Amino acid sequence: MISLTLQRSVDTVPLEAESICPDVIAGLDNNAVRALPVYLGKRQCRLDDFFAVAGETSDEIELRGDLRKVRWIGRGMSRGRISIDGNAGMHLGAYMKGGTIEVSGAASDWVGAEMSGGVIRVAGNAGGQIGAAYRGSPRGMTDGTIVIGGSAGLEVGMRMKRGLIIIGGLVRDFAGLEMKGGTIVLRSGAELRTGAWMQRGTIISLRPIPLLPSFLYSSSYVPTFMGVLARHLASLQISLPVDQQVGVYQRFLGDTSVVGKGEILVWGAHTGA
Amino acid sequence: MAVTITGGRVYDPANGVDGVVKDISIGDDGRVTADANGGASRTIDATGMLVFPGGVDVHTHVAGGALNFARGLVPENQRVARKFVHTPELRAGIGGLTPTTFATGYLYAGMGWTTVNEAAVPILSAKHTHEEMHDIPIVDKSTLLLMANNELMLDLLEVGEFERAKSLVAWLLCASKTFGIKAVNPGGVAAWKWGKNANQLHQPIEGYSKVTAAQIVMDLARIVDELGLPHPMHLHQNNLGVPGNVSSTIETMNMLQGRRAHLAHLQFHAYGGQDWSTMRSGAKEVADAFMKHTNLTCDVGAILFGDAVTITADGPWQHFLHELTGRKWGNLDVENETGCGIVPYVYSDHKLVNAIQWAVGLELLLLIDDPWRVYLTTDHPNGGGFWRYPEIMRLLMDVEFRRSEVKKLPPEALNRISLPEIDREYSITEMVIVTSAGPARALGLKQKGHLGAGADGDVTIYSAKPDADGVMFTHPRYVLKGGKVVVEEGEIRALTEGRVFLVHPDYDPAIEDFLRPTFQKLYTLSFENYPTEMTRLKHPETVPCAPSGSSAPSASAEPR
Amino acid sequence: MGGKVTCTLGEVKNRADFIIYWGGNPAECHPRHFTKYTIMQKGKFVPQGRKGRTMITIDIRETPSARAADIALIIKSGKDFELGTTMRALMKGQPVDEERVAEIGLSLDTITDLVERMKRAKFGVIFFGMGLSMTRGKHMNSAGILNIAAEMNAFTKFVCMPMRGHGNVTGADVVLRWTTGYPFGVNLSRGYPRFNPGEFSTVDLLVRGDNDATLVLGADPGATMPQPAIDHLTRTPTIVLDPKVTHTSKLARVHFTTAVTGVSAGGTAYRMDEIPITLRPGLKSPYRTDEEIVNLIIAAVAKKPGWRPAAVMPRAGIA
Repeated sequence: MISLTLQRSVDTVPLEAESICPDVIAGLDNNAVRALPVYLGKRQCRLDDFFAVAGETSDEIELRGDLRKVRWIGRGMSRGRISIDGNAGMHLGAYMKGGTIEVSGAASDWVGAEMSGGVIRVAGNAGGQIGAAYRGSPRGMTDGTIVIGGSAGLEVGMRMKRGLIIIGGLVRDFAGLEMKGGTIVLRSGAELRTGAWMQRGTIISLRPIPLLPSFLYSSSYVPTFMGVLARHLASLQISLPVDQQVGVYQRFLGDTSVVGKGEILVWGAHTGA
Repeated sequence: MAVTITGGRVYDPANGVDGVVKDISIGDDGRVTADANGGASRTIDATGMLVFPGGVDVHTHVAGGALNFARGLVPENQRVARKFVHTPELRAGIGGLTPTTFATGYLYAGMGWTTVNEAAVPILSAKHTHEEMHDIPIVDKSTLLLMANNELMLDLLEVGEFERAKSLVAWLLCASKTFGIKAVNPGGVAAWKWGKNANQLHQPIEGYSKVTAAQIVMDLARIVDELGLPHPMHLHQNNLGVPGNVSSTIETMNMLQGRRAHLAHLQFHAYGGQDWSTMRSGAKEVADAFMKHTNLTCDVGAILFGDAVTITADGPWQHFLHELTGRKWGNLDVENETGCGIVPYVYSDHKLVNAIQWAVGLELLLLIDDPWRVYLTTDHPNGGGFWRYPEIMRLLMDVEFRRSEVKKLPPEALNRISLPEIDREYSITEMVIVTSAGPARALGLKQKGHLGAGADGDVTIYSAKPDADGVMFTHPRYVLKGGKVVVEEGEIRALTEGRVFLVHPDYDPAIEDFLRPTFQKLYTLSFENYPTEMTRLKHPETVPCAPSGSSAPSASAEPR
Repeated sequence: MGGKVTCTLGEVKNRADFIIYWGGNPAECHPRHFTKYTIMQKGKFVPQGRKGRTMITIDIRETPSARAADIALIIKSGKDFELGTTMRALMKGQPVDEERVAEIGLSLDTITDLVERMKRAKFGVIFFGMGLSMTRGKHMNSAGILNIAAEMNAFTKFVCMPMRGHGNVTGADVVLRWTTGYPFGVNLSRGYPRFNPGEFSTVDLLVRGDNDATLVLGADPGATMPQPAIDHLTRTPTIVLDPKVTHTSKLARVHFTTAVTGVSAGGTAYRMDEIPITLRPGLKSPYRTDEEIVNLIIAAVAKKPGWRPAAVMPRAGIA
């Protein structure tokens, strides 16, 4: 286990720390870890200019401190574990291929952007563009799991192709924008324009949400796959309603503006239940 | 004396030097000199190395409105492209398929190419092209003016006013400060203004009752010859990319009987078959016809597997490609003149059509048995990035390697192409011709593409041995531009400023009396604001025209 | 993913028989648009001028531009995205939910009629303005228009064009693209250009306080930006170059008064359709040009001890 404790606050110019990644750190001794480059704006610094560094040669990294402006932690990681006791900055786990990241506090924008594997869990709120494509890219995350305990911002799962995103709190506009596949679970619903221009994929909302005119009501039921999904989510300590006695999912198909074959499933409890 | 290069094996096919060990001396004026009076401020020991004239790219898209539009369309490409980090000497930049301007100069020079012909300039945004050229270091540049869909010219040809059309073309060349004439999908881009195309060579163009694509091709070729431009009409033919376009290509060649012309990216115009499922290589037929038409030159526009960005004035073709592939699409029609279309694309060695395209480019280079008339290009970035030219060089020079690459193609491709039967291997001399001496000659740049006395001191020096991967010509040991060492062992050493070549053909001054009111009626800016000012060009150099029996009085005004 | 299908203004003048102004008010904000480029012009293929063109406005209120329109569509505020999406569906003959369409403020019949008219046009153009690009949805509202124009090309000739703001914003966009590869929001801290709107775009950067100094040239963020951004500009060193003393100047550490570009200073401006126009300054100014001041700053900075960025962020396996 390597422990990195923030010694110096990062509250104006952000720190770019893509070196904080198991693939980079795993084989290094303590001195080499200390000497890893991090970038404060235009200045290249050493990791130990900012962090107290304990431990070596491990692919398990523990971070402590308010890292809300420390960006690119876990970039491209394929193995190991990062746990953050505090907040995390933008691009957490971007391009991730494997391993796990856990954050006790909040995260920022671009969590798990274009990831292809691995698990990211953020207990608090996150920003926008979770599991999304960077601007211009044809696709966002292609696999992996992202769990945000709190709220999230705009464009969650934008252009995702496969994978699973679960958001506990309210989500802002454009969740599932231009989705190509995969599953998004919105436990507290969303603001506007959910599923805009989606081609394929499944968005599940446990609260009623406003829908675009290009989504059409299809039917009300509890799809069979919901049981499978619920069991999988249970392994992540997340529950999903599937009891037909308690309620049903209203299924909406769209987005017809792109002749899409996606679906939005909105849970509604039976009245009086 | 600026520099002497000693002990290298010199390949200077334009002067009959075929791998002879000799010295090359470059004077303080930056030109090769026969005088070896000693006292060179620098001597480069090129023992065991190959010495070539600097590469000349006869058809590429590197600067101006269309390319800049493309840059904005593909941020995802820039994100993964090669990065150029800012240093006290070098500007920051991004390489890739739509490199930024400074990076473009570094990339071309870094691979040993020293002259670059920007193949498509609209008059209305020529200032933009020149601004970007201004920011491309090291390499010398020439530019081609888009004319085959210029509606002012088409309107004149419609009513048979050939002489006036000729004067108009000359005036526009002077106003835009360009070097030659580019014809793209004649009539088709004008038709695209109404969402149509021009697939039939002998049908009137959309919106016209007389003018046909064939007429545009023949009239423009005649105009270029009568104006005596150094470079022939540079033609991107009708029916680019369409299976079965062999017949259109051969007919176009026949139409150009007796006229000079340069056929651009001929690979895209050499497809047999009737549709996508029956598509096959038409390179044999095209090569046979081409060999007979000794008045023609061409560049192949070969494709390489991997990413590309298609950028062309052929608007209708790009809309079609967008609909076919679902990739994003950029389109910009330029009033009265031309347009451009952009679609990012990937050539895949799993796809039958792409495999055939890959073979066609190589077949043309191998079957056309006159290296002085066929040149190595990828129509960058349409077929692939220009820095990948060495990959094509290897495929041409090494038949074993070529065969191993052919094996990777989908099996159905093999009976649609002739590449597997072709044994020919390019010699080094032939390689120098198709990458330097030949294109320089076609462009009419007499001081380029050779190392005789008076030539520009643009020299590329390679190791004679392949690198660890068995590849040659990827990384020159030295590149000299005008006698200055600009690249040494992979590093940029000096940032020279290249020249811009232009022409100033004669025209009847009365053309302005015609043009001014027509312009004000059809365009949206003041006539005074139309021409590009000479002050925008860094180091302009006018190359003389050699007009043939012109009937109009000449306007021998100096370039403004 | 659609794309951007556009043209230069002369194409509109010569061909457009169907013109939509969406989220913009050219009568007041681009005062010569109608007369010089669009509806009032007699074009080569629209010789009847105004009579040969149909002009539609789409806005949340009646503006002077709407009063010049053949059809003025008033929609509910914040419904541009929904309208665009509905149009894309109808264009393809796809069904939409009528009740939710009604929330736009237009009936399904009205929108259907609009799409049919668009298909019947010989050459259609949508000009879209900041009423669209600056309201909820932002770039996605613009993306909606871009997609409509691109997709309409399956039926007829159709283009779109953004109504750019003043101050040669188009020129800045064009020059940034050729020198850095990106149109705006370019970060050069690591020694090479990087682009990520939301992370490096100005308002976001200033609101979060991600920078520790600001140089402002020809803009007035102190007047237009959210309070946290203004507070940040006040707290950190801010330098302003402007012909006038602006709101930003008043909270800046240093203000340079510079010559007015186009009046006393030359250069090249790029029109909204990216056509370059040479500026011909007619008057002399006692003040130096922006270019001269910037060059002096560059020279002064060059005398400081240098720094060399070391490493490019490595490629991460991207599909």
